[in-house]
Amino acid sequence: MALMRALWMGLGAALCLAAISCGGGGGGSSGTSSTPPPPPPTNNTVSVIVDQGPIVNGSPIGSVNTLFTTVTVCVPGSTTNCQTIDHIQVDTQSYGLRFLASVLTITLPVETLPNSSNSLLECTAFLDGFSWGPVATADVQIAGETAKSLPVQVIGDSRFPTVPANCSGMSTGTAEDTVTLFGANGILGIGPFELGCGDCDTNSHASSAIYYACGTTCVATVVPTAMQEPNPVTRFAADNNGTIIDLPTVPSPSTGEATLSGSLIFGIDTQSNNQSGTQTVLTVNDEAELTMTYNGQPLTSSFIDSGSNGIFFTDSIVTCAAPPSDPTSGIVDFYCPSNTLTLGLSIQGANGVMANNLTFGVGNAITMLDNNQTFSVFPQLAGTLPAGNAGTFDYGLAFFYGKRVAVAIEGDTTSVGTGPYIAF
Amino acid sequence: MPIFRPDEIKIAALLCTVLMTALGPRIASAALGEPEITVQSDVAQLGASIKSSEVRAGYRVHEIQLPSGTLLREFVAPAGNVFAVAWNGPAPPNLRQALGKYFDALVSAPKPKFVDHRHLQIQQGDLVVQGSGHVRAGFSGRAYLASAIPSGVNLGDLH
Repeated sequence: MALMRALWMGLGAALCLAAISCGGGGGGSSGTSSTPPPPPPTNNTVSVIVDQGPIVNGSPIGSVNTLFTTVTVCVPGSTTNCQTIDHIQVDTQSYGLRFLASVLTITLPVETLPNSSNSLLECTAFLDGFSWGPVATADVQIAGETAKSLPVQVIGDSRFPTVPANCSGMSTGTAEDTVTLFGANGILGIGPFELGCGDCDTNSHASSAIYYACGTTCVATVVPTAMQEPNPVTRFAADNNGTIIDLPTVPSPSTGEATLSGSLIFGIDTQSNNQSGTQTVLTVNDEAELTMTYNGQPLTSSFIDSGSNGIFFTDSIVTCAAPPSDPTSGIVDFYCPSNTLTLGLSIQGANGVMANNLTFGVGNAITMLDNNQTFSVFPQLAGTLPAGNAGTFDYGLAFFYGKRVAVAIEGDTTSVGTGPYIAF
Repeated sequence: MPIFRPDEIKIAALLCTVLMTALGPRIASAALGEPEITVQSDVAQLGASIKSSEVRAGYRVHEIQLPSGTLLREFVAPAGNVFAVAWNGPAPPNLRQALGKYFDALVSAPKPKFVDHRHLQIQQGDLVVQGSGHVRAGFSGRAYLASAIPSGVNLGDLH
């Protein structure tokens, strides 16, 4: 961080000099010398929206409870070979910036592993499918924040069509290499750590690898930390200690809304618009999890996740019946109570701090989704967790509605604590 | 407390595996829907080791430690067929191997409409696959053949 501060001060000094220089050419209409104004602060705020998602073949893909933002990406070193991409999903439970190759119109250079000519490829095993593609570098700009030569993943890059069997085998075997299957034009993983893999610099993870070295064939590989895909915020020159997601209250929670707009603010206590207040600060463990107590049961592997589209927990609430027209519909995993339920929850951080007496609503998923088929904001959409999750409560994007939620990155200190923490 | 089986089935299975590896064509690495003997071939194919084998009321469970650190459990009905597999650990297991001939059904299954990247719940004919998880924390899930679950076995115990 000392280096960052030095760079930041250097940048500030350069801007001051530029201001003085410009002032000097102004014709001297004023007789008094004055202190040059401080450089304008970096714009650290980008708008975010919950809507029906990117347009494919003339129609939005039909996202629900999915938060999107816009990112500008350039070939490293270029200010003209750039592209601005909307509908990048904002995800507080993953790490790194990924784009679908099909939406990229610029060609980003692929990282080459040291001491070889092998390209660095990445396998991202989502449960519903896998994403395979090279780790490339890009100059990335979000609001006024920039990360130079940032490692990013390009998903479904036609230059690397052959997917290792160990990658495709770790999921349903479906390549999530289209916007529709992936559910976005890309994803911005800004969880409370720098990296998604804690030990990929020393452990190739063999049959379940994330990173592969690809020449004529692909083999699992270790990767120097600097070449791995980081949370992009950690590579910003400033405002790099965390993020704040600020979303308004949903006016009609039981019916939902068409869209919801808010802000993603970079940095915590770095500018006037991201100051900590009196919020509750809950630290998370190494797995970015904390304890939620529901129905009297402490669930120690729980998490708050902007990337989950519902509130997922285990209960005896009646689940939805599949419509006859769509017997395999995933709707059967959501809850369909006959009346809206108001339920209680408490959350305890790894630091022991409690957020007590939280409540959330559970509505009838079929009623909500059917009544307003063009809506995308459903605070009361809730569903079951798959088996084996007896200790989990997954509080999705609905948690963020009507709140200002800060996520501080591991090892970074703000005025109210040291990350990894989530505060609201 | 796991009850370790002191019986012959495991030994017989081992012998069979040795014989078939030596003499016959390779057994498909499938587990789900296959005879218990394939548990052993799974172990070999996956570079894994059997951590424990346990007899429960109405079925048997083999717990396999995968190289990734993930635990894979294979549930065997009294008739000797694997009716469910379940996993928990840092990485999903290779479902192509764990599901064997049912992996194709998983691949071809219609994807649920309101899917995110954190959950998987698919039913395709007799096959049910469920999972969840996220990076850093790990992944858990299970796959089972609905019609093959022995009577009296509670779905909640298959994890």
